[in-house]
Amino acid sequence: MRSGKKVRIYSEFAIRMIVFYATMILLLPIILVVTYLFPIGGSFNNLVFMFWAAIAVLCLTGIGTGILFLKRDHLKRRVRPSYRNEFIYLMMISAFGLLGFAVMYDYLGFDRQYIANFLIVILALMLYLLIMLGRKYFKFNLYK
Amino acid sequence: MKKKPISDELLNRIIKYLAIALLTLAVIFMATLFSDVWNWIFKAIKTVVVPVVFAYFLALIMHPLLKYLEKKGVGPRWLSLAIVFLLMIAIIAAFFYFIIPAVVREITAFFNDDFQKIIGYLTSAELRDNFILGSDIYDKIFNYVAGTDILNTWLDSLIPTFLAGMTDTLIPILTAVAIIPIMLLYYLLDYEMIGDRLRSIIPQKHEKRVADLGSRLNQTVGAYLRGQLILMAAIGAVATIVYKLIGLKYYFAFGLLVGITNIIPYFGSIIAAIPPIAYAAISGVAPGPLIVLAVNIGLQFVEGNIFQPIIMAKQLEMHPLVIIISILFFGALFGTFGVVFASPIAAAIRVFYNFFREQKQLNELSPEGGGGKTKT
Repeated sequence: MRSGKKVRIYSEFAIRMIVFYATMILLLPIILVVTYLFPIGGSFNNLVFMFWAAIAVLCLTGIGTGILFLKRDHLKRRVRPSYRNEFIYLMMISAFGLLGFAVMYDYLGFDRQYIANFLIVILALMLYLLIMLGRKYFKFNLYK
Repeated sequence: MKKKPISDELLNRIIKYLAIALLTLAVIFMATLFSDVWNWIFKAIKTVVVPVVFAYFLALIMHPLLKYLEKKGVGPRWLSLAIVFLLMIAIIAAFFYFIIPAVVREITAFFNDDFQKIIGYLTSAELRDNFILGSDIYDKIFNYVAGTDILNTWLDSLIPTFLAGMTDTLIPILTAVAIIPIMLLYYLLDYEMIGDRLRSIIPQKHEKRVADLGSRLNQTVGAYLRGQLILMAAIGAVATIVYKLIGLKYYFAFGLLVGITNIIPYFGSIIAAIPPIAYAAISGVAPGPLIVLAVNIGLQFVEGNIFQPIIMAKQLEMHPLVIIISILFFGALFGTFGVVFASPIAAAIRVFYNFFREQKQLNELSPEGGGGKTKT
């Protein structure tokens, strides 16, 4: 008699999709973090910069999606038992992305008083997502 | 009860060990009589060893990137090496172009704006009246500092001492800075060949085992250095951003301090937290010291419990006591260098220990070894 749930191992295609779209979602906040440290205020208006950066990210997303789908068959044949390095990368960009969201909150002119509340909500959401993604797709248990 | 007589074999062994101990002591005694010669020899060895060790560490950091490029089909070795070198030069240049001027600006601003304010606060009647240990203790400390003129003496002697120290160390530093890139270039270019040559000088009987030990050491020390570098950059950047978000002045300098001191386990975070907390407490401008303290605790929690275990992997997992003892021991032995590299040295020693323990167990299990040995 077989016991326990079947563990599904995902192909590199699924992992790359997750990593790529996570990068694209977090790219704008990460860019904003850099501009926060090295201000571009003298050259651009923050909102205008965010607008053009968002358009650039959208273009990159389109190009990246195309490349991913072109390589789909090749990547679908590649499978690994766990995707540790990819998960570390995801965690790193999530950490900077989180800070980027706080910067974005600041740039959009919301009340600075509530920045900690905003950060905690985003942090909880990100942690939940990372734990779920890690367990299901990357075979990496963050609790351990 | 009759005492068991000492066997000849045991007596021989005792005499042998005694003779070895006496001879060793005699050699050490003789060596102390020629300390000048030894100092001269050690200085020469140090001049060679320091750049070699640095080049080896840098090679361990850069070699996986080189292998990755080669795996992706990037040209012959010289091409991938050129790319890696250009990348390294770009990172160093970016650091000097963006980070260093910002830090220098902040330090200058601190001495222009806040240093006098801090001195004023430390000598104010307000601090004296509210001093946590009582105004008597404050007076004693104040009178001692004023009486011995310790602060001014220290400030006056700071630059001459620094310059005198620099003249002694400047030439070796400049030599090392000039030599290390060239050594690194050749080391990475012929990485595999150097390994083969080193293996060829080892007796064939031990070659396999020594190669195994070498590869384990490379793996452990390399993993530590790479992981530590990533952690330092990440935690330094995150600290800088968070300090700016909470409105702390001099966020670049404090963030850089967090990144640099992160190389020292446990103590580094404390060293990095003191200046911003003290500044926040003394300057009296937002944010308060409690917020800065909370940020530092939060950063250390995330770094120590999430990032470090994942990035450093299990191979460097050591008991905190072992790390603290190694920091104290190697710090006393090699100074700052020992404090910084205490963890990888301890990890390397553990690799040695585990390796020889495994070898002993294997010997005991094998028919020719101790376990299967039969007396004939």
